[in-house]
Amino acid sequence: MSVVTYTSKRALYSVISLFGLSVLVFVLARVLPGNPARLALGPNASQAAVNALIAELHLNAPLPVQYWYWISGIFTGNWGISLVTHRNVIIDVEQFLPATLELLITAAIIDLLLAVPLGLVAGRMENTYVDNVVRIVSYIGIAVPSFVVAILLQLTLGYGLHLFPIIGQLSPNFSAPPHITGLYVVDAVLTGEFGTAANAIWHLILPSFALALGPLAQEARILRSAVVENQNSDFTLAETARGFPERTITMKYLLKPSLIPMITIYALDVSSMIANAFLIELIFNWPGFSRYGLNAMLSKDLNAIIAVVVIAGILFVIANTLVDVTVGYLDPRIREQVGG
Amino acid sequence: MTEEVKPKGSSGRKLWITITVVVVVIVVVASLAYVVTRPPSSTSKQLSKAQETLSITWANVPNIDPAIGSDEASSAALVNLYDTLVFPTANGTIIPDLATNWNVSSSGLVYTFHIRSGVTFHNGDALTAQDVAFSMDRLLTMGQGYAFLFIPYVQNTTAQNNNTIVFTLKTPDALFLVSLVRLYVLDEKQVMTHLGTGSYGSNGDYGSTWLLTHDAGSGPYEVIYANLEANMTIEEYTSYWDGTNTHQPKYVQFIGTSTPSTVQALFSSKEIQITDMWQEYSTITSLSSLPGAKMTIIPSSEEMYLMLNSQKAPTNDIYVREAMTYALNYTAIVSDVFPGSALAAGPAPTILPGHDPSIPTTQQNLTLAKQLIKESPYYGNLSKYPVTYYWVTAVPAEQKMALQFASDMAQIGITVNIVGVPWLTTVADLSNVSSSPNIVSIEVAANYYDVLSILQERYSKSSQGTWEQNEWLNNSTISDMIANASTIQNQTERYQLEYRIQQMIYNEYLSIYAFDVTEARAYYPGIVNWYAANGHPIALLGYDFVFRDIGFNATAMP
Repeated sequence: MSVVTYTSKRALYSVISLFGLSVLVFVLARVLPGNPARLALGPNASQAAVNALIAELHLNAPLPVQYWYWISGIFTGNWGISLVTHRNVIIDVEQFLPATLELLITAAIIDLLLAVPLGLVAGRMENTYVDNVVRIVSYIGIAVPSFVVAILLQLTLGYGLHLFPIIGQLSPNFSAPPHITGLYVVDAVLTGEFGTAANAIWHLILPSFALALGPLAQEARILRSAVVENQNSDFTLAETARGFPERTITMKYLLKPSLIPMITIYALDVSSMIANAFLIELIFNWPGFSRYGLNAMLSKDLNAIIAVVVIAGILFVIANTLVDVTVGYLDPRIREQVGG
Repeated sequence: MTEEVKPKGSSGRKLWITITVVVVVIVVVASLAYVVTRPPSSTSKQLSKAQETLSITWANVPNIDPAIGSDEASSAALVNLYDTLVFPTANGTIIPDLATNWNVSSSGLVYTFHIRSGVTFHNGDALTAQDVAFSMDRLLTMGQGYAFLFIPYVQNTTAQNNNTIVFTLKTPDALFLVSLVRLYVLDEKQVMTHLGTGSYGSNGDYGSTWLLTHDAGSGPYEVIYANLEANMTIEEYTSYWDGTNTHQPKYVQFIGTSTPSTVQALFSSKEIQITDMWQEYSTITSLSSLPGAKMTIIPSSEEMYLMLNSQKAPTNDIYVREAMTYALNYTAIVSDVFPGSALAAGPAPTILPGHDPSIPTTQQNLTLAKQLIKESPYYGNLSKYPVTYYWVTAVPAEQKMALQFASDMAQIGITVNIVGVPWLTTVADLSNVSSSPNIVSIEVAANYYDVLSILQERYSKSSQGTWEQNEWLNNSTISDMIANASTIQNQTERYQLEYRIQQMIYNEYLSIYAFDVTEARAYYPGIVNWYAANGHPIALLGYDFVFRDIGFNATAMP
């Protein structure tokens, strides 16, 4: 099966998955207890205002009709009004998603930069003290919840040593850079505000690291296992026997096959961060999409809930598809299996 | 013979070097960022923006649309961004603000206000009577926020000229003047140039999308930054009609978080100078022991009620309700469960004007409670009628109160089933008498500065089916008396009627008045000279935070 056919098939599966997800989330959001219009407007709002909102949201229509209104609105830029922010959900998405993406990208970079060397060195130095140290560090990273790590980092490096800021995206002395992408670091660099960019990076480090620690510990362990397995395989032995330099064996022949299982987990970890980051965003008062999603759930903000879950789902599906394609590209045997 | 492949030490060393380089890069970036972005030291003559900013944490970022925002943070922001016709005082009276004077027709239906000249909005537009009319019309049309104070009463609003506004009421409303502290005046021209798409016909969204992150007010502060999920910063309006005070904070930051660890870290490093009111008492005690910090307990217009369902067995029997009232250990709740709170005295918070001073605080009296329960028709069969008690899971301390209640009730033979319930479920269950529990513990706050606010919210027929009434009180006499009280212009006469209503409710033992809510906060008195903490609170949501009346010592900031 060619890479193009394989990729097309994966994309089709993704569309079907997203459709199923949208139906599921839509129905679940609708069956939650409580009248969303009354909840949005408060107990003192006039009945006329509540009735107007019910009509505006088509809450009296049958579920399939409500779904049709919603899905057709998605493609015309009308994602519905958030019951909490009282504006089109797409405006909320535009405002809050970049903040989480910035956090997520930084966490993904930290994750990759630390997980690969840790896994590789632990695997290559199997059963030595180095391996044991990495193992203990990994277990701690896996076992300790991210919010505990976040609080510890905040109290030690933030409050205790004053090395990093305690909350927020920027210090009070700085103003948000002009909106281009919504990513503060990128926008600040593009507009030449390098002080603001540095300040934004400074604010990113603690929450990103707290978010990345758990996944990187897990991925380091997976990579380590793969390296151990592969370095005892025949092809490594053959390359060693032929006198290949150790660096070439490690970086070219050992790392590539060992990365396959780690890449799968890495992509899933990174894409799931968008849904899991709410505690980190809460602790660091980060104005992100994940926290927005949490507030939407607590307020039964129907349109916002659906938008958050569907966007998280889209990112998840994109990540999965990318992984499938990447792994298929790296290992032709997988493409053949899928092609039957 | 095969030779086992061994990892070589040089590879490991190189990888360790890589890790070290990564860590070093992170530390260097952090250090550079710190050096580049740190605020100037306190010895610098030029104060940084951070040093000139009073920062406070809140449960949420304010919603600053005057026709929508009504929670604590929103109310605090609105009283600083917008002006109102009248302004409340600590003793429950009102004084002129935008209105220089006013008169009321003999029928009590027509209110005429004269607006002061020379007031400008933050964009420089002149404030006129037409803006006041627009603000009232917008509030009534949208029907949200504080609109409920005016919808039943206001017939129409007319700007007679630039400086005269006339409100015509449908029925007399003795508290119309007091309610006007919630009519925030917007710049019509500015709002109408920022209309988005919406459901208000030619008015689109009535500017509500734009007003979420901008203001169109004339108040002593104006918005300079707003992020709905994180924080909002406002700056003093230097052209304010009443001038600026020398020591008021130049900037104020509303930080939307009440996460305990975050608030503790922020307060400890003086990055906030006043904490939110949602921290545990022990946390506030701990924070107030920091050098320079202090705890303040501010009375509020909120009361904690155990709302007793009068339509469901066994709480439909007055003897059961009265026995429960005397069986509860109030002292334990006030001293151990909600330390800092005050014993309540009847159906309304004692701080509110119109509270009946003859109603005493209730004390536990087990002997009396045991006598009373014997009078009940359920006596002897109480085991067949366990009472269901809801506590809202968002407030963990309420569970402790529920346990105290269950323990006390066991002494008079009443079994209590305690159920922790999410807020949304509580609201849904209280919408119907059959799904309402026997008891639910909820705090209710007054919307304006008179006990009538609480009486309307809690005990009138119209509040049945809302989260503010689990009593399901089907008493037309009380409802009519509450409605009648709102038409009495003479304050003394109105108070007399309000006293009688409170007595009637009190004698029916409809609720257990657990305690009057107080707000415990930590703050730095060396930085903030705060009138509410100095014994002059205005127990009306938001009005304890009029920032131009709060002194701020920027030079004491780190």
